[in-house]
Amino acid sequence: MAENDTQSRRDVLKTAGAAGTVGLAGLAGCLEGGNGNGNGNGNGNGGDGGSEYPALGNYPIEGDAATLGFNVPQTGPYQEEGADELRAYELAADHLNNGGGWVDLWDDLSGDGVNGYEIDYVTGDTATDADTARESASRMIERDNAIMYSGGSSSATAIAQQGLAQQENVLFMCCLTHSNDTTGGDCVRYGFREMFNAYMTGQALAPIVTEEYGDDLEFYQLYADYTWGQTQQASMRQFFEEAGWSEVDSVPTPLGTDDYSTFLQEAVDSGADVLFLNHYGLDGSNSVSQAVDQGINEDMEIVVPLYNVPMAAGAGGSIEGVFGTDGWDANLDNEPTRVFAEAFEEEYGSTPSSPARLAYSATMQYAAAVERAGTFYPPEVIRELEGYEWDNGGIGEEIMRECDHQTMRDILVVRGLSEEEQDPDTGRYWEVVEQSSYPDAVGYECDSGPAAECELGEYGDE
Amino acid sequence: MSVVGSVVGFMIQTLAVSSIYILVAIGLSITLGTLKFVNFAHAAMYLAGVYIGLGIALELQFSGDLARSIGLGNVGLDLGFLAALAIIPIITFGLGLLMERFVARPFYDRPDTDQILVTFGILLIVQELIRAFVGGRSLTFSRPAWAEGAISLGPLGTYASWRLAIIGITSVLVLAVYLYIEYTDVGLAVRAGTEDTEMVNLLGVRATRPFLVIFGVGSGLAGAAGVVGGPVFSVVPEIGVGVLVPAFLVVVVGGVGSIVGSVVGGLLIGAVEVGLVMNAPTWSSVGIYALAAVVLLVRPAGLMGAVEVDE
Repeated sequence: MAENDTQSRRDVLKTAGAAGTVGLAGLAGCLEGGNGNGNGNGNGNGGDGGSEYPALGNYPIEGDAATLGFNVPQTGPYQEEGADELRAYELAADHLNNGGGWVDLWDDLSGDGVNGYEIDYVTGDTATDADTARESASRMIERDNAIMYSGGSSSATAIAQQGLAQQENVLFMCCLTHSNDTTGGDCVRYGFREMFNAYMTGQALAPIVTEEYGDDLEFYQLYADYTWGQTQQASMRQFFEEAGWSEVDSVPTPLGTDDYSTFLQEAVDSGADVLFLNHYGLDGSNSVSQAVDQGINEDMEIVVPLYNVPMAAGAGGSIEGVFGTDGWDANLDNEPTRVFAEAFEEEYGSTPSSPARLAYSATMQYAAAVERAGTFYPPEVIRELEGYEWDNGGIGEEIMRECDHQTMRDILVVRGLSEEEQDPDTGRYWEVVEQSSYPDAVGYECDSGPAAECELGEYGDE
Repeated sequence: MSVVGSVVGFMIQTLAVSSIYILVAIGLSITLGTLKFVNFAHAAMYLAGVYIGLGIALELQFSGDLARSIGLGNVGLDLGFLAALAIIPIITFGLGLLMERFVARPFYDRPDTDQILVTFGILLIVQELIRAFVGGRSLTFSRPAWAEGAISLGPLGTYASWRLAIIGITSVLVLAVYLYIEYTDVGLAVRAGTEDTEMVNLLGVRATRPFLVIFGVGSGLAGAAGVVGGPVFSVVPEIGVGVLVPAFLVVVVGGVGSIVGSVVGGLLIGAVEVGLVMNAPTWSSVGIYALAAVVLLVRPAGLMGAVEVDE
């Protein structure tokens, strides 16, 4: 109720602001209408008064800057991923305003703001907690008038934020969220995800891992006890049991656990052949390091289904020989990867991780969709994103599906290198075993897998 | 695994989990018992132990924004783990003396809330300074080569060598502090002061100096805990706060001002944590709080304590 009241209050303010700007003829006309896109905005009535679209969410934008919200975990178990994401978001905003990076590669983008607006941004700390993430996102919408916000991990925070996005009619571009639910049972019209999901990780990993380790093995799972870990372990069970393996047990661990030794001892005592560590971020670094310390890799094979560079760096040599998946690698040999990695390194002196690329890409995708739509009006931007296909994101051909807002794309199956082989300067912690491609190796139809449970909701202009 | 094997395995696991908590809790408990000072900044000594210890044993990477802006590079003495374990308690002992003189002493006669606010604030300031200089990325504190890998104890299971080493180091340190407090003049004054500070002063014993020393000893233990705990967990600035909460619960359960109480409390909390992980993992994170609540209800002074926390 309170949120509805706030929404109404904001709408009233928005309408009042729009009325006020009508008098400023010509001053703001260069904004929405400045691109000559035929949307009827260039009539000199100002950005708000001249829009052919009604007020919705934080549209129309007041002033000459469009504010984006970057809501990432700056504290908590996923803070390292959040820090890298934030760097990439800020780099993206800089490139959108001043050119550089993918802006120079993508035809839709100009390097002179977006659709005539300078890009401004605000940042928030989700603390890797869903309630905190929602509160922070709410501030971005209510106080800062963000026209779009983006963030994650974790999946719990992403799902909380995209639920708010649907309610407030403000777009949320998911960054790092791997739960099946994000574009499954909890999908929304106002949320888009480029990251693959646990279901696709299962599809990519099972054939390669079972071929490597053999048939009819028993496996034991530890998983982070929230939406991501739960769907992750479910997908691992599904695809590895379909491949002929059998699960001995699957045990939840609280998010943010420091000490996994007791959990790991139970895993050893189970007598299973393979141990799946469905942990991520600092939790993932801790659990795999402690597993190797405990000598588990001498009795069992260890699999970490979802990797990233900060996590691998934290785990060091413990990941040697350990299979997993990641969405991108800074050492891939293609132009978008090179351009982004060089720009990131030049700015921050470090190699970008896959979460950083997701953050950068989410911002660019949104900006490009606005340019194609010729407006920030959310329903039109959503329609531009739906069904959009691109191949200039550094990981091959991708398609943002209309049915569930899940990107169908390739996945990297990787295997950890020994400490001696790792090279932190270039972000090389693993070898890419295979780029599992869509649709040959990964992907699913709109009426199957997580998508079968997805109902996106309203555009807001029906 | 046999029943005996399971029981012994459970005990080893409990000792391994409890060790760090006990090392940190002893300093908290002594300070609270002798000086009636609630010192949340004690966890800053754990942080100092981890980060300075890393710089002494190996190398500390200064990759934080502030460090980059002033051109601070990596600093490392590369003296090895044992050197760090020997030097860090001395450093944190000195830091403890400074903290007692300039932070604790002005607040001895102030309410608990003031003490909590100022000491927790100091902990957060230290944490953020570390983030500014070292950065938020997790660092790897490699364990010494002699404690790498795992040791098989036959039917009792296989354990990380380092975990067993921590049990040994903790036992030695706790025993040393226990003997120091039980069998030295300083310890006698401290114990007497814990019972009745006013009477000790009336008898002409100057309790300030023993209290100062014991404050430093507690800080030294926390620093040592940082060195031995560093290789177990990912090293990030938040680990100070992370270790503070269970350590404080150990004090609550074991009783204020008692080394034996800290050991018993630590073992009990470790046992509850390990037992729940084995049998009801979803409850493992709340179990220790439930234990503390039950102890506070049944025995407000803690299992081995003479005075209640708020007395």
